Amino acid sequence: MTDQALVVFDGVVKRFGNFNAVERMDLEIRKGEFLAIMGSSGCGKTTTLRMLAGLEAPTEGEIRLAGKRINDLPTWRRDTPMVWQSLALFPFLTVRENVEFSLRMRGVEKAERKKRVDKWLERMQITEFAERNVAHLSGGQRQRVALARSLVTEPKILLLDEPLSALDAHLKVRMQTVLSNLQKELGITFVYVTHSQSEAFSMADRVVIMSRGRIEQIGNPQEIYRAPRTRFVAEFLGSSNVFAGMVSAANGDALRIVTPSGEFDVARNPAKALIKGDKATFVVSGDRVQLTNEKPAGGVNGMEASVVGEEFVGATAVIHLEGADGLELKAQKSHDELERLNLMPGATIWVSWRADASHILPGE
Amino acid sequence: MRKSITLYGLTFSLPMLVWQVMFFLAPLVFLTALSFWTVRNFRVEPDFNPGNWTKMLSRGVFWDAYVRTLLLSTAAAVVTSALAFPCAYGIAFKLSETPRRWAVFLMVIPFFTSYLVRVYSWQIFLSDNGIINALLAKIGIGPFGMLNSVFGIMVGYLTLSFPLVVLLQLFSLMFIDRTLIEAAHNLRCSRLRTVFEVVVPAAKVGLVIAALFCFILTFGDFVSPLYLGGGDPPTLSILITDTTKSGQQWPRAAVIALTMIATLLAVAFAAVTYAYRERGR
Repeated sequence: MTDQALVVFDGVVKRFGNFNAVERMDLEIRKGEFLAIMGSSGCGKTTTLRMLAGLEAPTEGEIRLAGKRINDLPTWRRDTPMVWQSLALFPFLTVRENVEFSLRMRGVEKAERKKRVDKWLERMQITEFAERNVAHLSGGQRQRVALARSLVTEPKILLLDEPLSALDAHLKVRMQTVLSNLQKELGITFVYVTHSQSEAFSMADRVVIMSRGRIEQIGNPQEIYRAPRTRFVAEFLGSSNVFAGMVSAANGDALRIVTPSGEFDVARNPAKALIKGDKATFVVSGDRVQLTNEKPAGGVNGMEASVVGEEFVGATAVIHLEGADGLELKAQKSHDELERLNLMPGATIWVSWRADASHILPGE
Repeated sequence: MRKSITLYGLTFSLPMLVWQVMFFLAPLVFLTALSFWTVRNFRVEPDFNPGNWTKMLSRGVFWDAYVRTLLLSTAAAVVTSALAFPCAYGIAFKLSETPRRWAVFLMVIPFFTSYLVRVYSWQIFLSDNGIINALLAKIGIGPFGMLNSVFGIMVGYLTLSFPLVVLLQLFSLMFIDRTLIEAAHNLRCSRLRTVFEVVVPAAKVGLVIAALFCFILTFGDFVSPLYLGGGDPPTLSILITDTTKSGQQWPRAAVIALTMIATLLAVAFAAVTYAYRERGR
C-alpha cells in the first residue's frame, strides 16, 4: 500500500446469490485523483461504488478508507457522499433544504448551516433558485443541486454513479468541465462510474476498465487507448482491429505472426516476451490503417478486404470491412480521405498498416 | 389549457357522469329540497320552510353531536393512521415479494364478512363479563368497562377502517423511490430518522388520503357508535335516525345529512389541498 492510497480494495468479492458481481478485486484509489470506473452494464462497476459508499456489504475481503477498515460501517457513519444517476434529490424539500440536509443530520447549528449552504449555492451558481422546488429546475440545475448537497460537508471523496447520463450532449460536455474544474479546485478524490468512454477519458486521471466483475486494466486514458492489455479492452474501446495467431519468426525488435487471415510484421511489446511458436494477439487501431484502391508498395502489412458498410461518426466515418477468413476490420477516416475510394458495399479494397502501428496485447 | 370536449372522450366518461348524476347529484338535489319541506300530521309535504334549518342549527343537542362526531372521527383518523403505519411500513420495506402478496390478501379478507357481524362479535369480547374481562380476571385485574365507551367506538372504527388504511398507506409507500432512502442514509441520516425525514414526507399524499378515507368512513358510521358506544350521547348519524323516528321529521334529518356532506366536502378539500401542497416556488 502506498502512502497516497485513500481507499484500498483488498481481495473484495461481492456475490448476489449465485451471481458474482465483483470477483477478488484489488484496487487502490489515490488521494486527490479523478478515477473513472468504466465497463458495460452488469460488469460490477456500480456494485464497486456502492460497496465503497456502504450501500452494499462485501461478501469477502476488506475495504479500507484512510487506512481504516470500513466493511461494517453503515453508510450514515462513513464520509462517502454519492451522486446518483437519478440524482435522488428530495422532491419534498426546497433547493436550500436539500443542500442543508446532511448538515442538519450532523447537528450543525443553524447559523453555521446557513453560512455553509450559502457558500455552496454560490459556488454552484444556484443561489437564485434557493427557495425553489427541485422539481421545477432544469437538468443542469438539478445536477448542481445534487453536487452541492454532496459536497456541503466537504468530504475527502465524492462518488458519482453515471450522473450525466440523463443530460443532452451539449449540457453533458459543459457539466464535464464543471466536474473536472471542481475536482481540481477541491483537490479531493472523485470516483466516477460510467459506461461512456468519452466521459471517462475526458475527465479521469486514471481509468479502471471492468468486465464480468474483474478489473481488465487500470491506467491513464492515453495508456489504455494506445496500449490495451486484453482483447476485451481493445474491443470495448471499439475502434481496434484484433488479430490472433502464432509467432512464426522472432528477430530482435521484429516479430512475424501467422493468423488465419495472413502473416504480418508486428512490433515487439516490451511488456510481453515472445519467442517463436508462442500464441499472440495484436491490435491495430482503426485510425492507423490506410485504405487504398491499389495494392500498397512493400514494407507494410496489407490485405485485401471487401466493404461491408459505412458508419458516420461526426467528422469521421468508420468503414466496416471483411478480410480473409471472415475477419472483421474497421478503419476510421476523415470524409476527405474517403472520397477517392470505391466504398460501394461488396467492393474490394486494400487495407494496410505499418508494423509499428500494431500493438501486442500483453494480457492475452 | 382546457381541451375541447370530443365525442370520443365523452363516450368513455359517460358512465362516470351518469353514475354521478344518478347516485350523487340527483339525491343531493332531492335532499336539499326535502330539507325545506314541512311535516303535517306525520306526513311530509312539499313546502319552502327554512324553519327546519333554523330549528336544527339552533339546538344544543345538534352541535354537541356535531362536535362529538368531528372529534371522534379526527381521533379515529389519527389513531388508525398511527397504528397502520408501522404495519404498512413493515409490509412495504421488510417483506419480500411473496409474503407481501399474502399480507395484501390478508388485508382484504376482513371485507368478506359484514361489518355489522364483526361489530356484534366485538360485543362478546368487550362486554363487562365478556371474553377479555374473563381472561383478565384470571390474572386478577379488571373488569374494565370497555363497551359503551369511546374505547368501544374506537375499536369499532378500527375494525371498519384499519385494513383499508393499511392498504392505502402500503401503496403509497411502495411507490417511494428507494434511492431517496439510500440517499438519506448516505447523507448521514440514520434508519429511524429516515422514516420521519424521508419516508413520511415522500408518501405524504397517500398517507393523507388514507387518513381522509378513515375520517369519511367513520364520520358517517352508525354501527360502532350505537352498538359499541351505546349511542348516548349520540353522534350525527344516530341523531339522524332519532330525528326520523320522532315524528317523521325527515326534513330535519335532511338538514343534518346536508351539514354532514358539507363538512365532509370541506375536510376532503382541505386534506387534498394539504396533501398536494409543494414546498418552495
